[in-house]
Amino acid sequence: MTKKKLQANSLWLLVMIIGFVVINLLVYVGVIDSFIENMLVTIGINIILATGLNLIIGFSGQFSLGHAGFMAIGAYATGIILQTVPTVGGFIGSIIVGIVIAIIAAIIVGVPTLRLSGDYLAIATMGAAEIIRVVINNMKITNGAAGLFNIPQFATWPVVYALVCVTTIVIVNFAHSRAGRAIQAIRDDEIAAEAVGVNPTKWKLAAFVLGAATAAIGGSLHASYIQTIAPSDFGIMNSIALLIIVVLGGVGSMTGTFLAAIVLGVLDTVLQSFGTLRMVIYAVALIVIMVFKPSGLLGRYEFSFARVLNRHKKEDAA
Amino acid sequence: MSSLLQVEHVSKIFGGLKAVEDVSLHVEEGELVALIGPNGAGKTTLFNALTGVSPATEGTVTFNGVSLDKKKPYQVAKMGIARTFQNIRLFHQLSVRENLQAAMTHRYKEDFVSSILRLPTFTKKEALVNGWTDEILAKLDLSAVGDTITANLPYGTQRRVEIARAVASDPKLIFLDEPAAGMNPEETADLTALIRRLQSEFGLTVVLIEHDMSLVMNLAERIYVLEHGKLIAEGTPAEIQNNDAVITAYLGGGVHA
Ligand SMILES: Nc1ncnc2c1ncn2[C@@H]1O[C@H](COP(=O)(O)OP(=O)(O)OP(=O)(O)O)[C@@H](O)[C@H]1O
Ligand SMILES: [Mg+2]
Repeated sequence: MTKKKLQANSLWLLVMIIGFVVINLLVYVGVIDSFIENMLVTIGINIILATGLNLIIGFSGQFSLGHAGFMAIGAYATGIILQTVPTVGGFIGSIIVGIVIAIIAAIIVGVPTLRLSGDYLAIATMGAAEIIRVVINNMKITNGAAGLFNIPQFATWPVVYALVCVTTIVIVNFAHSRAGRAIQAIRDDEIAAEAVGVNPTKWKLAAFVLGAATAAIGGSLHASYIQTIAPSDFGIMNSIALLIIVVLGGVGSMTGTFLAAIVLGVLDTVLQSFGTLRMVIYAVALIVIMVFKPSGLLGRYEFSFARVLNRHKKEDAA
Repeated sequence: MSSLLQVEHVSKIFGGLKAVEDVSLHVEEGELVALIGPNGAGKTTLFNALTGVSPATEGTVTFNGVSLDKKKPYQVAKMGIARTFQNIRLFHQLSVRENLQAAMTHRYKEDFVSSILRLPTFTKKEALVNGWTDEILAKLDLSAVGDTITANLPYGTQRRVEIARAVASDPKLIFLDEPAAGMNPEETADLTALIRRLQSEFGLTVVLIEHDMSLVMNLAERIYVLEHGKLIAEGTPAEIQNNDAVITAYLGGGVHA
């Protein structure tokens, strides 16, 4: 049992390293040009943002529509700090500052709103994100509606790749531990969860805060990759774009979130030559997938090396 | 000696309706007590008041010497009171194993860092939890369906899983709200044996709401009868069967063993 888990974990590590080496190689030989690299980085940042949102929506069952607000906090922390401390240390520090502020904001937003359910919570979180955006819009240090320019670029693709791995490990391991069982129990039946000793407020807040922290990381990377940010980058449509990734991949499936982020990222890039028709094709693709696969591309399916290893064992025995 | 559960003058009022009125009762450690009464008598409401789901309007409840007044349901659960629901409430997207393990979260600590990094302390805790789970699954005859998503289980098995989940929270006292509802005679017989084992093998104190009179008369050591929110009788099965007030409450004597 434990040995198999160790094997599975080693396989995941191997996949991460191979992925890194392969992409690096392709960049080196020129197969991946700056255009494709841009696509890969965007996909990576979207994965970081959407896995956190899927933790909140799919695992803890809290319908949040405010993810872009927490992303904005990370983005502005990095944008502001990098303009005065344009070093790697400044970048790392700015990510940490973003995470801390996002956690504080998530607690302030979460404590009163997580008592609400369904649509009410969606509207409350949407409002909270809007407040964050309006505050940023009216502060001097954030340069108001004009936003920040010429943010030094430290979020190169290897950095993004590494942070995709780190945040995914954190979120997936959180979801598969005592905490994960508690939040999923609350999602399925809050009254029953309380009746077996689970404190709903505490665990819902934990998932919400962790999701917000990873959103801040995504925001930091966004700011230091795109190098330009403005309050309008973090509106309700951006929260919905992340929600689309989660729903399309399958609510509750992290594998699905990966797949959806990749599919939509590629689709978006391929369609860029279609001009204005792009949004129409994009929308039609979404509708088609949702009509034929309402539970998302993967439903609640998760890919697992442990299971593959198990199946192998059985076939060997047979 | 004080009782394990002491309920004193508990009332629950919904708007103008007195669903439970001035109920006082006690349950001793290790006892198997039944709470019966016609539909709408206030049995479930009393359970909800005792477990903090919907707190009593008046009265006091003491469990193991500690007051339960103003305790939240999860705090009541941590103190050692488990329950099942009249309408099954399982974590339907989770497997049977996960349902049981969700009920164990207060039995051990697992810190964020060691669970994220899968440190040896985490692996050790998970092994411990898996051990508890395997044991309960085996004892309740659920090993074969351990990895099945509970929504896909037959009704009778779901009821059994709900009892298993209550046991998983490591309680002293367990409230069962109509565990035999919707079961066929064979399943009811299995259930009767199981409830008896909860008392004898697991050392639990059991309070049972049930309409199936043969099951009640078979199992209960003591019976409380509730009608229109008030207790109208208390006694052994033999006493209750011959109690005039009870016979009247059940419309002229439907109580047969
Ligand atoms: N949340 C509520 N709000 C208002 N009235 C309620 C509420 N819950 C229960 N009642 C009323 O309280 C009374 C007692 O209901 P309760 O469910 O406790 O009965 P019961 O003895 O469990 O009945 P049954 O055997 O049908 O389960 C009923 O008249 C019911 O309509
Ligand atoms: Mg009832």
